[in-house]
Parts: sequence; C-alpha cells; structure tokens
Amino acid sequence: MSATASLDGVSKTYGRTTVVRPITVDVRPGIVGLLGPNGAGKTTFLRLLSTALPPTTGRITIAGFDVTASHANRVAARRRLGYCPQEVTFPRGLTAFEFVDYIAVLKEWRDTGARHREVRRVLDLVGLADRPAMKVSTLSGGQRRRLAVAQALLGAPELLILDEPTTGLDPEQRASLRGLLSGLAGTVLIATHQTEDVSALCDRVLVIDAGVIHFDGTVPELLATAAGRVHLGPAASRGAVQTWKTGTGLVRSVGGQPAPDSSVVDPSVEDAYLLLRSAERTTQGVV
Amino acid sequence: MSWHVDERVWKAYTAGRLDPAAEASVETHVTGCVSCRAAAHDYAAADTAETVWAGVRATITAPTPSLLHRVLRRLGVRGDDLVLLSAGGSLLVPWAVAVAVGFAIACACVVGLAGLDPVNQDAVFLAMAPLAPVLAVVVSYAALDPLRDLTAPTPFSKLRLALLRTVASLVVALPATAAIGLVVPGLGDLTFLWLAPSLGLTLAALVLLTWWEAPVTAAMVVSLWVGVVVVVRTTGTVDVLTTPVVQAAFAVAGLVLAVAFVLRTSTLRLQGGEQ
Repeated sequence: MSATASLDGVSKTYGRTTVVRPITVDVRPGIVGLLGPNGAGKTTFLRLLSTALPPTTGRITIAGFDVTASHANRVAARRRLGYCPQEVTFPRGLTAFEFVDYIAVLKEWRDTGARHREVRRVLDLVGLADRPAMKVSTLSGGQRRRLAVAQALLGAPELLILDEPTTGLDPEQRASLRGLLSGLAGTVLIATHQTEDVSALCDRVLVIDAGVIHFDGTVPELLATAAGRVHLGPAASRGAVQTWKTGTGLVRSVGGQPAPDSSVVDPSVEDAYLLLRSAERTTQGVV
Repeated sequence: MSWHVDERVWKAYTAGRLDPAAEASVETHVTGCVSCRAAAHDYAAADTAETVWAGVRATITAPTPSLLHRVLRRLGVRGDDLVLLSAGGSLLVPWAVAVAVGFAIACACVVGLAGLDPVNQDAVFLAMAPLAPVLAVVVSYAALDPLRDLTAPTPFSKLRLALLRTVASLVVALPATAAIGLVVPGLGDLTFLWLAPSLGLTLAALVLLTWWEAPVTAAMVVSLWVGVVVVVRTTGTVDVLTTPVVQAAFAVAGLVLAVAFVLRTSTLRLQGGEQ
C-alpha cells in the first residue's frame, strides 16, 4: 500500500530551539495515532504535514506531491487534505453553517448549490445537522469541537489531520466521533492524549517526545512492549512508573519489581505509553 | 364518493405529471376520502418524504442573504467572494470603523476644535483622515485572524484573499472619509490631499500584516503617521505635506510598498508559509 504522506528528514527549528528533530516516516491509509506529552512536538508535526508550516529541513510528500518543492505542489496537496487544529477560535457572529461554508469556499467549492450540499453533509456527519443556523458563540464546547472537525471533512480528503479531536467531547460524542472516523476511507492522522482513542481506533501508533519518534508500530506491538510489566497486588511494585489503588482495594502497578502475591495483568495502551515515556526519560537523563 | 383515485392517477400525481386542475382535484378528493388517503401509502415513492425533507432542510439552512449581499450580487460580486468578505463581519465591521473614524474626524474638526486656528484644524484632519482606510483594512484582517491556522492549509490564494479584503474595505472607507472631508468647512485642498498618504499607509499596513498581527500593525502605522504629523506641525505647518513634491513622494512610496507587498507574499509562498 503506497504512502499517503511521507516525511524525509523533516525538522523544524525556531531560532535556536529545535521542536522537531529530523524525522523520516511514511503515513499509509488507515488510522494513525500520534501520542506524546504536552510540548512533545505533536502539533508542530501535524502543522508541518498540513502545509501550514514550512519545514526547516527535509522533504514532505502528500498524495504524491512534494510540497516542499513548489507552491503548485503545495496547492495540489492542499486540495487533498483536511486539517483540524488543536484550538479553533471562531470569528464572532458566524453561524455553524456560515463557518463551514467559509472554509468550503477556501477549499475551492465555487458552485453554491454543491457547496451548500457538502456543508450539510459534513454537519450531518458530526451530528450538527439540526443546528446549522445557530451562532457558533451559542454552541457548547463539544459542539464547537465537532464543528471544527466538520470543516476538515469537507470534500472527503485523502489525508485527514486531526489535532486532539476528542478534547471537550462527552463519552457519547467521543464514541460517535470514533464511529465516524472508523468509517472513513483514506488516511487519518490523530494527535491525542486519550490512549483509549488509540486502542479503540488506530491501526498504527507513533509515540513522539522532544521532537523524536520513539515508537512506530501497531497497537498490539505497543502493548507487547508492556507485556508482563503491569501487576495487580496487595502493595505497589517497587520502582513502579505509576501505581494506583483500584476499586477492589488491590494496587495496580505499571513497571517496577512486583510486590509478593502480585499477579500479572494485561497492559493497556496507557500502561505501554507510560513505560515507554519512562524509558525515554531515563535515556534522556531526566528523573 | 362517486370516484376514487386509481393507480394510474396516483402514479401520475406522485411523479408530478398531472396538470394543476387535476392535481387540485386529487388533493381535494383525498382530503375527504379515508380509503384514498390510506391508498396513498401504497403509491407514494418510498424516498419521497426524504426528498421533500431534504429540500425543506436545504431551504431553511441556506443562509439568508442580507440586503448588502443582494446589492453586491447585483453589482456583480461573485457569491463565493461574498462568503469570504462577509465572514466574521469582515465587510460590515470595516464599514462601521470607516464611518466611526470619519465621524470622529468631523466631530473633532467641527465641534471640538472650533476654537482652534485653521492651521491646527488642518493638522488634526491630516493626522486622522488617512488612518480611516488603514484601520478599516486592518480591522477586516483582525476579524478573521483567528482562522489563520485553518486558512493556511487551504488551496485558496492568500494574495487574492488579502486583496479581496483590502478592496472591500477601501470601497467603503475611502468614499466615507471623503464625504466627511466635504462636509467639514474650510478644509480646501485637504479634502482630497489626504488620499496619497492614506494609500502609502494602507500599503505599509498590508506589508506589516505579513509579519505581525492586526492590532500590532494598527499601532505601528497609527504611531508612525501621527508622529510624522506632530513633528511636521511642531516645525511649521502641515501644508508641507500637501505640496506636489511630497504628494508625489507619497505616491512613489505607495508603489514601492505595493511591490514590497507582492514580493513579501511571493517569498512567503516560496517558503511554504504563506498566511
């Protein structure tokens, strides 16, 4: 399966600060999760891929177009991608319909009838079909988040880039968005803090920290890195990365030396992520 | 009932093939005939309700064009351009700013500065009038600045977007300011001589907007121009700014800044970071 997007030695530097170190990675059709702590470089990575930001070094190819080579290639790539930033500040006074309509014009939907049909389609997809005439300022946080996702869905893009799409959504809305994303064709790249989203949705996971990709594999492969390292017992494991008392009174420990009478339990994506982060911090000399 | 709607008539009715008289006859009959109303379910296309509902939804969800929209459409402005111009009040807000600044100029000149000598009146007018179009353009940018992250990765030309906003703002700001100048008594040539510096300042603002956000740009341009007028006034009269040589200098500066704007936009485009 050919890659929808490729990054070849791509880095981003602001002054003396390197936010993304040279990265080489292919993004293929399916749902790819991007996990990492705050300030890891996830948003910069996504902005680079969305063509909103030019890389300092390296080459980015989207849908076969080298976007770093020419403006024409960049425009061609932009016709094939949808991008939902982490935070969208909506202009005052716009209705939900007008907001998506505005972005649709910027995505070159010139025919009014076809554009309006497309706007209604994406509003329908995110469950806002009954609120097109509502001012964005009167929508709830979750509804605004879904509206931001709706504009990214315009034109059923080959590459859909979503930065924290489930932030602010209640469990029902999150499940609904997962259902929507899992039914999409093409390539979806999601940056998230929600490890449940990754385990529920993603075919592949990238773990990024300090601008470096530390893990690139499937969810089972990520879980395998934590196999046998998560325990449930009467006391916390010594040197555990994280421990917490569960509702049964037993202590769940991620990593470390298990306490006597502890048993091994199946790890979650969150466990694997925490262990991976701990290993990274040790490598980087951070305690 | 002497007759009932048969299958042939039902099919013609649901397909919309009946003439208006026959259609009205069927509707009148069905209203009073229970058996025909029951039979209607068998003949109505399964997706008719969905189609009708989709049409109703399309109608009620389509934005209602404002009077301004309808006027601009009549004047030949494209529908998609209107969507871009009206989003976030980017059309109405600059208009309001232009009128408000113009009104402030008129008040300052006619009422507030009535006791001042004509030289100071001219200085105040020349300090404020060229800024009305500048502020209108900057405000139209500010209205949509929050969407920069969403706008950047779209294929739409950012230069075209910038020029659309600028033209839309100037179309209202320039006549509004000129009209104010006409109603203020005693301005003489100043009524129109603010246009050249205004052109230069507006283009300077467009160049600065490629680096800085709208409020910073507005502060820089306003400070620069008011500073120039104050310095000129303290060393003499502002008449020096209205001499043909200085007016020509403003026009040349405007052209240079226009070239700088295009170059700056092209450079950003080459670097892949056009906003």
